[in-house]
Amino acid sequence: MTVSRRRATAAAAILTAGALALAGCAKGGGGGPAATGSSGGAATPTKPLENKAVSSITVGTAADSTGPATPVPGAKPGGTVNMIDRDDFSHLDPARVYLNYNATASSLFTRQLTGYRRGADGIKLVGDLATDTGTTTDGGKTWTFTLKDGLKWQDGTPITSADIKYSVERLYAPFITEGPTYLQQWLVKGDYRKAYEGPYNGKSLDAVETPDDKTVVFHLQDPHPDLNFTLAMTGYGAVPKAQDTKEKYDKKPFSSGPYQIVSHVTDKSLDLERNPNWDPKTDPIRNAYPEKWHMEFGVQAQNSTERFLADSGADKTAMTFHNAVAAERVQEVLGNAEAMKRSIQGLTPFTTFYNLNTKRLTDVKVRQAITKAWPAKQLQLISGGEVNTGKIATTVMSPTVLGYEPFDLYGVLAKPNGDPEAAKALLKEAGQPNPTVVYAYNQTPTQEKITVAIKDALTKAGFNVVAKPLNPATFYDAIGPVDNKYDIYWGGWAADWPTGSTAIQPLFDGRLIADNASNYSHLNVPEINDAIDAANKITDAAEAGKAWAAVDKKIMEQAAIVPEYYQTYFGLYGSGLGGVEFDPIQGEQSPLNVYVK
Amino acid sequence: MFRFIVRRLIGAAVIMLIISAVTFFLFYAIPRDPARAFCGKICSPTNLELIRHNLGMDDPLFVQYWHWLTGIFTGRDLVQFGACAAPCLGYSFATQEPVFAAILDRFPVTVSVTIGAAVVILSFGIITGMIAAWQQGKPLDKIASTSSVIGASLQIYFVGPLVVFFVVDSMGLLPRPSYIPFTENPAGWFVHLLIPWVVLSIIFTANYTRMTRSVMVEQLAEDYVRTARAKGMSGRTVFLRFAWRGAMIPIVTIFGVDLATLLGGTIITEQTFTLHGIGELAVRAVQNTDLPMLLGVTLVGAFAIVILNIVVDLLYAVIDPRVRLG
Repeated sequence: MTVSRRRATAAAAILTAGALALAGCAKGGGGGPAATGSSGGAATPTKPLENKAVSSITVGTAADSTGPATPVPGAKPGGTVNMIDRDDFSHLDPARVYLNYNATASSLFTRQLTGYRRGADGIKLVGDLATDTGTTTDGGKTWTFTLKDGLKWQDGTPITSADIKYSVERLYAPFITEGPTYLQQWLVKGDYRKAYEGPYNGKSLDAVETPDDKTVVFHLQDPHPDLNFTLAMTGYGAVPKAQDTKEKYDKKPFSSGPYQIVSHVTDKSLDLERNPNWDPKTDPIRNAYPEKWHMEFGVQAQNSTERFLADSGADKTAMTFHNAVAAERVQEVLGNAEAMKRSIQGLTPFTTFYNLNTKRLTDVKVRQAITKAWPAKQLQLISGGEVNTGKIATTVMSPTVLGYEPFDLYGVLAKPNGDPEAAKALLKEAGQPNPTVVYAYNQTPTQEKITVAIKDALTKAGFNVVAKPLNPATFYDAIGPVDNKYDIYWGGWAADWPTGSTAIQPLFDGRLIADNASNYSHLNVPEINDAIDAANKITDAAEAGKAWAAVDKKIMEQAAIVPEYYQTYFGLYGSGLGGVEFDPIQGEQSPLNVYVK
Repeated sequence: MFRFIVRRLIGAAVIMLIISAVTFFLFYAIPRDPARAFCGKICSPTNLELIRHNLGMDDPLFVQYWHWLTGIFTGRDLVQFGACAAPCLGYSFATQEPVFAAILDRFPVTVSVTIGAAVVILSFGIITGMIAAWQQGKPLDKIASTSSVIGASLQIYFVGPLVVFFVVDSMGLLPRPSYIPFTENPAGWFVHLLIPWVVLSIIFTANYTRMTRSVMVEQLAEDYVRTARAKGMSGRTVFLRFAWRGAMIPIVTIFGVDLATLLGGTIITEQTFTLHGIGELAVRAVQNTDLPMLLGVTLVGAFAIVILNIVVDLLYAVIDPRVRLG
């Protein structure tokens, strides 16, 4: 038997990558992007980033909220899709779901009042269980949702407004700690943990009313015009009282969606089959073509990349939700025309940046000088390039957020390796030609390289840089205190729903500054706080988007952060599947329109 | 014999207790709060306090350890996870499943990999080592010695993907490695684990070849072997009944330790072939700062080493009648 040159090349790549895989499987976070292998280089993607529709996200009408979902041309029902990924889902009880990966899986069996419908005209917020995206007549303080007809749980019992109320009430139970807490806090006065203990002792939550079987009314303490976006989070998915197994519900939730769980073996596999009581006419979001799903866990990115490239046997009908192309194989995949046809690229909602501690760096000119001197392109190359790391960012909000407006106040894209002369001029204006700054970083091999580049670039501009390595395990504990002793440190954030209120407020509202709170730059500018309040009151989503974009500019004028990346995703899937799409809301591959060819 | 076993088992229990206590207290020496893993992205101090209470982490460390220890015999009830029946080693912080159940679930995978590999290792390692000793200085010895050096130099994460690529993806000779329970499908169990066994044994076989050759050569030069030859015994009898028996003790000793290490988790093999065994659990426990799981897999590893040491001691008496168990 002969081995073709392509196979020989692939074998050589496996040898190299295999050795690298075990040496470098540490994941990033807290201090920089994932450590990468030797691919290096900002490779040019051969497919456009699939993010165009996102910034044009709109709020759909009642007509948009009716099922079935927009059909995929050429798609056919039936078959089994295999899903391979590194990790099992850490939570499946909707109340405990926050991670995008868990949310993607949950979309197959958990439905919320609202959700996102993808179509040729972009992404629309639509009613999922509800007939529309809800109505409010008092600026977002009281919200009313009406449930669709024909909604059923997997056992055929109807989904009622009482189920929705119960699902909200159990969010207050002591064992529910991992999911989002927005709605819980908005419905009660003071600390929600003290205001209500959950439904298990027979107590009810008055702030949620159910005048009839179809209607749910939320009475919030303050106006929240984008509550309908909030309720699209999996964390606010429906749970039936009769099937609530409390802590155990996390392993096997009861389905309101197109599939039901047949078996779930932790860390090994999850099997789904068709839920016969799901009616596609009620669902504008999910096409749900396959008859079954088999999910396999414990497959490292290196392994899944090899399997997708080999594209043999059952892997032909395999996809992944989260595993990206292994860093060591990116260049190889980019040069493989056949594999590129089966690739997915896009911008995730995750943005990364370097916080500039405004409590210590009090002069805005000094902060602006740092931004001017920043070696953005060099850092991107060290991290592995645009395809598997991210696009260089110049704003707070990512292009995946409604209202995003591109701007580049500091000319980063024009001079991506920094402008030391302009930085020097700003330092001169500040009267501090040689300020000392303390840069704290995660002590990982990649971050060590990045630190050298940052130190070099800032030194050229006149800064004295003191680099402080931190233990990756305790990075956030070190930078968390408001009185920390560092001037510059990495951070990352993903909007919980694609509006500015969650992309901007948690990070830059000066009234939220506290130890370990998410405002790590400690920015507290009254004008920005007021602008946040004003944007939060706008009920029209498009108008609110414009207001948030204006807040974005104000923050960047203050140079509270040096934006790093709009994170990118680059993944593969098997040749036997169609309809595999990138989901810009979750930032990974979507299972909703997939079909077996 | 009975007294020996009882005494060693009591010693084993004490060792396990010490290991669990050291692991427990060392874990808390890391300046990291496990409660944070249970707190959402926007984590309020009240929520964090509640989680610490739910996990029993608001108690002093000694009390927490006591609760963990007594839970093994009486079971526990934790607010964050619910009831955990005895023997309760707690719940995994990462997967929220009972640690004991997770280990029991994974153990057959690791045992299967270990037993299969052990058979290959012993068969090939000892046979080639004996041939090398028998043919000392001759071409067969040189081939066996050189092969063992090459084998010992290879790494599982290097050979594994290569074998899968050629044997599975390119030629389609064997299915992709995975675990099928022996009780469900013995043939499937064998075929799906063949590649991990062979790859794992390449490295270990080489060590056993070298060791067997070395001790056999040593034994063949001993006085009692020379005496046996002088008495006119055949070369085969001297080799197999005298020299081999003398060589068995160091081989059994090392094999006991290797077997225990493999049972504690064939970490790299499981990672390379995506097998869900104890080794994978151990890696995840470390990555996730998952104390209960870390304690569980550490105890499994310690238990395997302690028990196999006792077995090896018992085997000494079988191999060498001069050894008495007192």
